[in-house]
Amino acid sequence: MLSEYGEKAIEEAKKLGASYADIRIGEILDEVLTIKNGAPEEVKFLQTKGFGVRVIVDGAWGFAASVDINKDEISKVVNRAVSIAKASAKLKRKDIKLSQETVRQDRYETPYKKDPFEVPLEEKLKILFEAERLLAEQSPLIKASYSYYRGFREKKFFMSSEGHRISQTITWCGGGLMAIAVKNGEMQVRSYPASFRGDFSTSGYEFFESLALVENAKNVGQELLKLFEAKKCPSGVTDLILTGDQLALQIHESCGHPTELDRVLGTEADYAGTSFLTPEKLGKFMYGSKHVNIVADATVPGGLGTFGYDDEGTPAKKVYLVKEGLFVGYQSSRETAVELNLGESSGGMRADSPLSLPLIRMTNINLLPGDWKSEEIIEDTKNGVLMMTNRSWSIDDKRINFQFGTEIGWLIKDGSKEEMVKNPTYMGVTPQFWGSCDAVSRDDWKMWGTPNCGKGVPGQVMYVGHGCGTARFRNVRVGLI
Amino acid sequence: MSVERLVEIAEKTVKTVVNLGASQAQASAFLIDNALTRFANSQIHQNVASKNGGIIVKAVLPDKRIGTLRANTLEEAEIEKIAETAIKMAKSAHPNKDFKSLPEPEPWNPIQGAFDSETASCTPDYRAEKVKEAIETAHNKSSIVRAVAGYFSTSSMHFAVANSLGISAHASLTTASMKTTVISEENGSEGFGTAEKYSRHVKDINPVSLAEDAAEKSVKSVKPIKIQPGEYEVVLSPLAVGTIFSYLGYIGFSAVPYQNGSSFVNYFKNQQIFDSKLNVKDDAKDSRTLYMTPIDGEGVPKKMLTLINNGVVSEESICYDSLRAGKEGKKSTGHSVPPITRWFYDVPVPFNIIVEPGDSTIEEMISETKHGIFVTYLHYVNPVEPTKAILTGLTRDGTFLIENGEITKPIVNMRFTDSMLSALRNISLIGKNLEIVEETTVPPMKLNKLRFVGVSAY
Repeated sequence: MLSEYGEKAIEEAKKLGASYADIRIGEILDEVLTIKNGAPEEVKFLQTKGFGVRVIVDGAWGFAASVDINKDEISKVVNRAVSIAKASAKLKRKDIKLSQETVRQDRYETPYKKDPFEVPLEEKLKILFEAERLLAEQSPLIKASYSYYRGFREKKFFMSSEGHRISQTITWCGGGLMAIAVKNGEMQVRSYPASFRGDFSTSGYEFFESLALVENAKNVGQELLKLFEAKKCPSGVTDLILTGDQLALQIHESCGHPTELDRVLGTEADYAGTSFLTPEKLGKFMYGSKHVNIVADATVPGGLGTFGYDDEGTPAKKVYLVKEGLFVGYQSSRETAVELNLGESSGGMRADSPLSLPLIRMTNINLLPGDWKSEEIIEDTKNGVLMMTNRSWSIDDKRINFQFGTEIGWLIKDGSKEEMVKNPTYMGVTPQFWGSCDAVSRDDWKMWGTPNCGKGVPGQVMYVGHGCGTARFRNVRVGLI
Repeated sequence: MSVERLVEIAEKTVKTVVNLGASQAQASAFLIDNALTRFANSQIHQNVASKNGGIIVKAVLPDKRIGTLRANTLEEAEIEKIAETAIKMAKSAHPNKDFKSLPEPEPWNPIQGAFDSETASCTPDYRAEKVKEAIETAHNKSSIVRAVAGYFSTSSMHFAVANSLGISAHASLTTASMKTTVISEENGSEGFGTAEKYSRHVKDINPVSLAEDAAEKSVKSVKPIKIQPGEYEVVLSPLAVGTIFSYLGYIGFSAVPYQNGSSFVNYFKNQQIFDSKLNVKDDAKDSRTLYMTPIDGEGVPKKMLTLINNGVVSEESICYDSLRAGKEGKKSTGHSVPPITRWFYDVPVPFNIIVEPGDSTIEEMISETKHGIFVTYLHYVNPVEPTKAILTGLTRDGTFLIENGEITKPIVNMRFTDSMLSALRNISLIGKNLEIVEETTVPPMKLNKLRFVGVSAY
């Protein structure tokens, strides 16, 4: 049936003058569970379905989408997309060209052991209630305690006028804990295993089980309470060690976004901004130190940005963005690859629903492991601060000047992790910061999943991954509040 | 599909859920048509339209087990299945001890002027024509204008809410918006300028005036100088003021952070924390707000809330939906977010913030500034410490040095990190003209000081 709908859309688009057309027909199932203060705050099941048609007519793009999947609606939507493209063509400077890609007819499914949508709701809620109870009972100072679960499945069928026929089923799940405590007007927060509802992976329910929320709940609550006794993070310039859960967001903001080629070419100038990594820097600019190797890798098992094909039918790839500190690559699409004569797309075109237009989005942006053990990095640091778990973030429109806050930190003195500090913050300038990176760990490297990356107008929210461990940065300004 | 049909679907869904054993049920049916023409490098590069609709169902069992389901369909034949799934979810859940009841019906009246049929029927050709006018105007402004970017968007939204206690209400509204960002370049130095306009009426959007404003800022922004971080007087455009109040709404005036103890309102109730000139309300029925709706996402009539009264916040400043109100034995203020956003918000927030005007113009604010900064836009703002309303973010798209009452030079974008309790404690002047900036309607403002902690590196 999907193939029949697809054929109809492509055929009608061609009749109406489209030189290229594609259609994505999809359905998303999203199970969201939240326990707060002993009550089920969210027991939600969200279903999104529909289709989106993308056409090139008279050398310009048009896109239209609808939730009603039937033949009449497909005709209406194709007509709408074509008339939109014709309007676009009135204001084009040149015709859209797409890079050559091998036509594929394939299927892809996220591998997993336990299907998250087959595990009874009661079983998930039992874990969440128990974990949240253990977290909450650590102290009456805890005003709000949360446990989270989310299971996600996207089924999509992609067909193009070039002959692509690709079916995919992407499945991911995960969860976490978070608590807010207040003492004498001071608020502190602690999350596990990462902020913003936890950690997520393209895996089965076994990933959620591996997070061991119940086993970790007590420790999260106790660490939260210790923050009230901790000193404020001192202000000054010192060595900074970031653990993976914070480093993931640092990579996301200061390497992931600025290497998106649509930003670089100015098409996000009105909203997210542009990028300091302009085309003349490609292959010439030292982004970081020789310890910094960063890839966009949609093939890594378990990565939240792992799939078979992007939403233009380009197969998942591993592409270097930074190699031994040198800026060497962009995340691209078929259209932007032509703009810069890159030869082929990096395979990063993704839409957050069948109703949305694909944009260049991160897949898994990973800082490759170095030679250090995380403990060795601490032992090798004379004076510094170790920071963990994001609490606040901000970066400018070219992705240069950033400021991050974390939930917790520790002073490092003479190679030892000592006093806990609260309200840690740091700021920096992207190439200087990554240029000061002199140690990257191997032993604690893992994939972190972020399901809430925002981009585009109309806004879209995408699920992306970041592989990293622990890293050290020299002479960083810390303690801003 | 008419809004009356959405009412029928919502009511039928409620009956079906109750017939399957729910003690209470709520359903909202929605239909949204969005169209957006986006441009960059002085050409259209993304041009999209989508029709989205569906039903959101809440099933409550007698022991307060609750299941919620959103389905992207308005087919009557699907209602039975949707209702069964919601009941199944509720049966698997635990009782929610915080739940008291779905809201009781209250009188409500449709709002005149919220829906504009011209906006709803706007064509891609019309949007393309207006985009063309903006691009041509910007390029005609100066030969150093290199590229024009932005978007022109039109939307129509209908939703209906019914519940088993007798609520049956509906709303229809339209929005139109345009943003124009102009990039100039001279001798390798870039300048940026931006302007935005929001209205319920597409004919209110004037691309020429937006492009002129953005281009002027852009052309004047090339070759910026760096100034030292520190505390400065600031003149904030409505775009910058809107961003600040949007964040204050989210971190301060919602019942969720308030009940969590993370809102600044928890700690500064009934104190003079803001300048006494500052008066802010949330009022969805005020024609000056963009998202005019008579009801919220639960069908509760929207209540006008005073968020800041002569610089003072109080318990009366907090926005509630029925769940959060029930926790405190209160009634909902009508702040459950309607199903007109793409995402399924479950946190009550003020969506119709209006900062009352003063009597100044931006020119007067600049002329009364000895050594300060004019800020067009604040970028990537985020809360650092919500209990003290500390925000961080960067200036963007037109940041200028003011010396002895005049704008003298463009400056490199700067990062601010400051408590809004401090920044808004000493408001020197409030503008007399209000602008809609998404969910806020705000004037320009002159603050005596804002703390800047860093400078961008370009």
